[in-house]
Amino acid sequence: MRKLVSLLTIGALSVGVLSACSDGSEGSSSEGSKDDVLKIWSFTDELKEPIKTFEERNGVKVELTIVPTADYATKLKPALESGVGAPDVFTGEIAFLKQWIDAGYWENLSEEPYNAEEVSKDIVPYVFDLGKDKDGNVRALSWQTTPGGIYYKRSIAKEALGTDDPAEVGEMMSSMDGLFEVGEKLKDKGYKLFPDEGSIRWFAQGNDPQAWVNEDNELVLTEGKENYFDYAKELRENNLTALAPEWSPSWFEGMDKPIKVKEGGKETETEVFSYVLPTWGLHAVLKENAKDTAGDWAVTSGPSPYFWGGTWVGIYKDSKHKEEAYDFIKLMTQDEEFLTEWAKETGDVLAFNPVTDKIKDDFSDEFLGGQNNYEFFLGEAESIKPGIVTKYDQQLDTLYGAAVNSYVEGKKTKDEALKEFKKQVKNAYPDIVVD
Amino acid sequence: MKKLDRYGYLFIAPFWVVFLTFSIYPVFLTLYYSFTNYTGSPGEEIVGFANYTRLLTDTYFIEAFFNTIKIWGVNFALQMGMALLLALLFSDLRLKLKGLNFFRSFFYLPNLITISSVALLFGILLDWQHGSLNMVLMKIGLISNPIDWLAEPVTAQLSVSLILTWMWFGHSFIIVMAGVSGISTDYFEAAHIDGANRWQMFTKVTLPLLKPILLYIMITSLIGGLQLFDLPMLITDGIGSPDGSLNTMVLYLYNQAFKYNNYGYASAVAYGLFLITLIFSAIVFKGMFRNERATQKKGA
Repeated sequence: MRKLVSLLTIGALSVGVLSACSDGSEGSSSEGSKDDVLKIWSFTDELKEPIKTFEERNGVKVELTIVPTADYATKLKPALESGVGAPDVFTGEIAFLKQWIDAGYWENLSEEPYNAEEVSKDIVPYVFDLGKDKDGNVRALSWQTTPGGIYYKRSIAKEALGTDDPAEVGEMMSSMDGLFEVGEKLKDKGYKLFPDEGSIRWFAQGNDPQAWVNEDNELVLTEGKENYFDYAKELRENNLTALAPEWSPSWFEGMDKPIKVKEGGKETETEVFSYVLPTWGLHAVLKENAKDTAGDWAVTSGPSPYFWGGTWVGIYKDSKHKEEAYDFIKLMTQDEEFLTEWAKETGDVLAFNPVTDKIKDDFSDEFLGGQNNYEFFLGEAESIKPGIVTKYDQQLDTLYGAAVNSYVEGKKTKDEALKEFKKQVKNAYPDIVVD
Repeated sequence: MKKLDRYGYLFIAPFWVVFLTFSIYPVFLTLYYSFTNYTGSPGEEIVGFANYTRLLTDTYFIEAFFNTIKIWGVNFALQMGMALLLALLFSDLRLKLKGLNFFRSFFYLPNLITISSVALLFGILLDWQHGSLNMVLMKIGLISNPIDWLAEPVTAQLSVSLILTWMWFGHSFIIVMAGVSGISTDYFEAAHIDGANRWQMFTKVTLPLLKPILLYIMITSLIGGLQLFDLPMLITDGIGSPDGSLNTMVLYLYNQAFKYNNYGYASAVAYGLFLITLIFSAIVFKGMFRNERATQKKGA
């Protein structure tokens, strides 16, 4: 994801520079009117719709600034630190969530007049919990939940596994052994279980994933975490993957058509059976890239529940428009009418129970052969445990992924790769205690 | 008279305001940060030379230094070789090649593509299982198994070097060509009459007279090369994979600052990079001019 994002955003850098210029000139010419504007910053255009609704309903003018993901944190931080040109409301992706909560940029929503605690019962528990700081105060809320699943092709499932029913396929893949068995069955028919070895990272940790760093700021390398090495190697050695790394061109290609794989000096054409992606993977990745196979997909659960990504939104602590700002956040996270419409239009899996309870029963997605993915994901969301997210996750995951990869490629032994990983962690974060 | 003098200052004021705010001020601020443990939020503490002592023993930085030199060195040798060869061909009086203007723009074209597009493009071309390069090489039978270009340290560094060569040889060619056209044809004709062959004309006439131009290319390319960042960052995972072989000094600086929030240490890295650039430029400069003096003496 990072790589794709940086490729796209470095390209868009120039646009960012241009918009920064126009920002400055506007500021000097119309200082007076600018005070009445609610300033919102985000890294996608997702908020455009809700902002339109908000402007119509509340008669407040909103100025949305979209900063590409790769620059978002770098641009936002100085604004928040200095208060100059800072937004009233800003969103934060899971990768930055903990960092910004710790830094105290977001207003405490547990206090008067917001009393965000009141809605806790209406919001998916793990989503609500992730928005809290270490003292248990709510700093940010989210409208969505992003549990993950395994998206697979029905036609292949029918041929190799004898069924395309999500429940039955999910049952077969409900343990690591089961997953590898399915992989072997697929191999016999000439298919590949996953595009790459990284696909298994969420499941390798088992049902009890641990945070990267504990309360004493020590690096936690559980057996579950180390298992990722072995499972990834097993996938590679048993030829269960299509050697198409995540976000690479062939990874995308494999969604829609057979791809060529070279094994033991022989070139074979194969098809990828499944992709491990969360809720947003359906709309942002699969639907965009798998046009010919639309309708042939289904989603089911893997050996263990996981979630990937998610965006939270909060009020800047020094905002002068806190009231309007919270009105907007309420619209975004707790407004039944708006959220119902939003969910139906975008298919985004919401975290607000009063709405999801109402709409989940008659949801179905054409792309998934009419499957009710909404109900499936809400079920998955229930089994996710909060408390495993740290501010280091994104960088540590990248470093760890590189370590596993060097082992899978046979360049390092597991011990060497782990040693190198620990050295890198120490180098990147001198305050983390590494044994 | 006095009034007019003041106008002069007014005219240069805009430049100085911009220069002081965006160049001088950050330079000194970075120097200050390099002595602190600044993490991006206020409240940094002065830590003395701790960042610099860490820098001297930081294996990642030392590795980054050698990676940068290797990638730049291969690229520079190839780029200059190609630029000189092309300049030689196009300036040859006997060959009388046509279409210089066309080729000049043609060779320069890769330089106009934004680096992110280049990275994306070569990411696809060099893809392990599905890349065009491997397919072509396998079709013509040069290799029997696909090579994972960007997964082996040596091939990854070589790939980056070659991409940089492809991007920059046209640029060097234009400058070298300009230098060659500046040499009076009298010298070549005289050499020709004296019975010099092409190689002798190249080494005894063209090269010595091109020295200032070559020095210019060398120094600008060196300074640019030591700052190598965008391509290594974009072509693999952004942390220098495979095996840290694409971890260049500026990439390391960037990651320390903007990924790991170690702004203090990253500032020290920046100053380390500055010193290295300074030393290298001095060596190149000195070396070039000492040679010049030596030849002058010999000639006299």
